[in-house]
Amino acid sequence: MKNIRYYACPSSVKDALALLNSRKYKAMALAGGTLVAKTLPDTVETYLDLKALPIKGIKLQGGNLVIGAGATFDEIDRSKVCRAWAGGIVAKAAAACSSQLVRNMATIGGNIARPHSFNIFPVVLLGLDAKVRAVSGKGSELLSLPELYAASPRLRPGANCLITEVVFPAAASKWKCEFVKLAKTDSSWESYITLFLAAEKRGGRVSKARVAVGALSPRPFLAAEAEKAILGAAGAGPAAFSAELEAVRAGEYRAAAGAALLGRFIASL
Amino acid sequence: MKNEILETKDGLFTVTVMVNGEKKELPVRNSESLLDALRRHGWKGTKKGCDTGDCGSCTVILNGRPVLGCLTPAVTAHNGEITTIEGLGSVHEPHPLQEAFVEAGAVQCGFCIPGMILSSKHLLDNNPMPTEAEIRKALDGNLCRCTGYVKQVEAVKKAAAKMARGRKK
Repeated sequence: MKNIRYYACPSSVKDALALLNSRKYKAMALAGGTLVAKTLPDTVETYLDLKALPIKGIKLQGGNLVIGAGATFDEIDRSKVCRAWAGGIVAKAAAACSSQLVRNMATIGGNIARPHSFNIFPVVLLGLDAKVRAVSGKGSELLSLPELYAASPRLRPGANCLITEVVFPAAASKWKCEFVKLAKTDSSWESYITLFLAAEKRGGRVSKARVAVGALSPRPFLAAEAEKAILGAAGAGPAAFSAELEAVRAGEYRAAAGAALLGRFIASL
Repeated sequence: MKNEILETKDGLFTVTVMVNGEKKELPVRNSESLLDALRRHGWKGTKKGCDTGDCGSCTVILNGRPVLGCLTPAVTAHNGEITTIEGLGSVHEPHPLQEAFVEAGAVQCGFCIPGMILSSKHLLDNNPMPTEAEIRKALDGNLCRCTGYVKQVEAVKKAAAKMARGRKK
């Protein structure tokens, strides 16, 4: 931070990308700033403020929920569109993030661009099969979260490309979903475990299951064994999930709590 | 600011801001937070608590929404509007929220109160008659180590009622 020499607040994505990819400016993008403001590397010389970019809208597009990357957690929490889509799970997840003051500042794009184990939206995106639009000097790509992670270093959001929107697929709007941030207090940023659970039932059987897990590693993961067990016999899900959490060394408490939370979710189906 | 690029001079940016309704040109250090810049320029009602975005003592209203001054780089306030606690009222003419906090006995050591009042102001500006749950949610980022928040919630309810009566007159 001590080497900051320039401040830019462009009003178009094109101008922002030009600055980001300019050798002169050595810029890093700043959205809400809650994760970045205090931890900019010394190599960065330009604050590239994204607040004036036209990437804040929240809308339904052919049943897909499309959220502009610049939308804050508070805007997502208060959005009528988000509160209505998939039982309001995206709004509920936004409301679970830290405190109101952080929700006023932090954006969904920043939450995806700066991987941290306690980030909320990567877990939700993974669980809902959402896609992220990344725009670089070479064009625009719609990528799933694992694809975005795999594209590094070709695509490094905030450093050589920008996330402009997040697309939650229409198909997921019919799933029954649950989001749980198990933390010391409601306004804690840190959580012991973050879970996004989703399922679809057809003809009395679970035909689709999603168990996304956060807070255990910088990037969230899908609990594939638990998902498989739920599809076989829903009741087998919690034990499989507990074993899976033990296998990634989540610890006894998280394994037990995760299994109990999944059990409650399955019972509610 | 349309695609303008500010450059430092001797490590300082010069930012143009409206602070409490007054236009100011303030020199701010390149790595300085809005909290530190405001305090350095005399707005000491903005308190420095944790400096990590956890306590809310540094809350100011920037461009219409309460933010954490400690996590906001000062230069990003360029061309913005800031309201600090000094902009709300005075000893002789307090804001209804300030009156209500005193009347309700919501102030003990007082360190968290500027931030709490600014968060409350934003809430009442957008939701004149909030429920208790809405008040608690709006204040969940403003930590108070003296009280159990009961009096502050009561104070916001009192202020909401007082402001509603004022609007009816």
